[in-house]
Amino acid sequence: MNSIALMNGTRPRKAGRAVVGVVLLVVLGALALAPWFTSFATQRLLVEVFTVFAMALAWNLLAGYGGLVVVGHQMFVGVGAYALFALSNRLGINPWIMLPLATAATALFALLSALPMFRLSGAHFAVGTWVLAEMLRILTLNNEWLGAGGGMPLEALGSFDRWTRNAGVYWSALITGVGALFIARLMLRGRLGLALMSVRDSEAAAAASGVSIQRAKLALWVIAGSITGLAGAVAYMNTLQVTPDATFSLNWSAAAIFIAVLGGIGTLEGPILGTILYFLLRESFASYGSWYFIGLGSLAIATMVFAPGGAWSLVTRRWAIDPFGVRRDMPRR
Amino acid sequence: MLGALYALFGLGLSLSLGVMKMINIAHGDLIVLGAYLCSTVMQLLGTGPFISLLAVVPMMFVIGYVLQRVLLNRVVGRGALSPLLLTFGLSIVLQNLLQEVYTADTRSLQAGEFALQGFDLGGVSIGLLPLVSTLISVAIFAGTSWLIGHSHLGRQARAVADDPGTARLVGVNDRNFFALVTGFVLAVIALASVMYGVRTPFSPTAGPERLLYSFEAVVLGGLGNVWGTFVGGLIIGVAQLLGAKVSSGLGPFFGHLVFLIALLARPQGLFGKGSR
Repeated sequence: MNSIALMNGTRPRKAGRAVVGVVLLVVLGALALAPWFTSFATQRLLVEVFTVFAMALAWNLLAGYGGLVVVGHQMFVGVGAYALFALSNRLGINPWIMLPLATAATALFALLSALPMFRLSGAHFAVGTWVLAEMLRILTLNNEWLGAGGGMPLEALGSFDRWTRNAGVYWSALITGVGALFIARLMLRGRLGLALMSVRDSEAAAAASGVSIQRAKLALWVIAGSITGLAGAVAYMNTLQVTPDATFSLNWSAAAIFIAVLGGIGTLEGPILGTILYFLLRESFASYGSWYFIGLGSLAIATMVFAPGGAWSLVTRRWAIDPFGVRRDMPRR
Repeated sequence: MLGALYALFGLGLSLSLGVMKMINIAHGDLIVLGAYLCSTVMQLLGTGPFISLLAVVPMMFVIGYVLQRVLLNRVVGRGALSPLLLTFGLSIVLQNLLQEVYTADTRSLQAGEFALQGFDLGGVSIGLLPLVSTLISVAIFAGTSWLIGHSHLGRQARAVADDPGTARLVGVNDRNFFALVTGFVLAVIALASVMYGVRTPFSPTAGPERLLYSFEAVVLGGLGNVWGTFVGGLIIGVAQLLGAKVSSGLGPFFGHLVFLIALLARPQGLFGKGSR
């Protein structure tokens, strides 16, 4: 009995895995080849999709796995984008080479900002990050070196022809999005993920079992901040101009929060589903202006009230699937 | 005088935080809503801003009561995340509704001659309006502090804040009670928003900044401490005014900076209790 059940359980899963793997490869291949058979407009939209997805994923890691709700998520976007623009413009170097440096700059910023921010917890932490983001906005607004209110363009990109520029930014975005997902999965399946989930479930129990809460949260904060910084840098390579009000705008946080809430907080699948939903809604209804935002806000409220687990929870309620293998169950006997 | 206004902003936030353990992200937008309601009442009835309060305060109370009853009560007690995200959505909805109804233009509340009057006090000229707003602010703080300390409602508030489960057990109807608190908070907001509207022009998107200032006042003063919030508001206000003297664009920045430094030095707030 037991062995039959076991075989029945494993065989379709193996076959299923192979199918999923092939499908994934085909989809990724098609996405990688997109610059050759899609228009510039489509590519620009896809760049937005991938970068916003990476930001939402990072936000979701912080909120859903680390219990660190961030309202000032745009600070990472801004730091990443400004680091890229400043470094590339001042040094006159190819911005693609500068992307890792911009990411490192955001990581450093995350490390430093943890100093005051980690003194707060819960809701205070959330609004505290917003205060920090506001400070950065005002600082860049008053800094001549960073272009003050007008911001600055990305000069070094002007030397590339249009196709190379678009395709290059597109591939960077694709790598950012897929890479973010890959890193998130790796992290959650590893030691850090285990530590974080134990902290999320019970901080006291985790501490008693020897988990260093502060260190786990700090590591998560830096990783998520770097992902967001990179995504921000790539997103602004797409628009070619940074300005304080747009780059440090609350809208970045709002998008990340909507996506995570709609898709499902504390899952890896949530942001994927959420990003698709978000962009479908935006592309179909954005022309309604204020009413679009009213609808979006109401939808988020309704989700919080009626389905706090988001859209993905509606899926798992019916089918017990776990495509990323990050859920940890009690060992069954 | 600016500080007294921020303190009044903070009072509502401090109350809902203390009693219900939730941060209302839409707090700033509700302040702006109050100011717009006031301007509508002034237009319809042709009254001054302070008279219009007679209509706006009850209106805001009802809005707060219904809001809590219908929406917020569903997520209170579910941890910090749910109320935060819910009110975040609410904030976006409110901002865009205001934009739809009142357009994106800035407005201000005209207080007439009253706003310009002032008198000399030992060589320092003092505006009548700032003086009156400060006095009102102090009066509201004193009233609230007395209410919490001495009335039946205040006892309930402290009981629920300490232990909601036990409070319910001994007969506090917390759903209704929370709704009353939010109603009261919005009534205070109404008062604050009139003083705000008379002082500065406002637009539908001005809400989030108001929220940040109120939040800073609350955290700076220490949680669950009404007079602490008052002092916190004063400090933020003074820091902003001094900052604006140094460099005109940097006023709010100095407010934020003072907040951050104070946080590093004393995470529990200036008057907070030592425990975390």
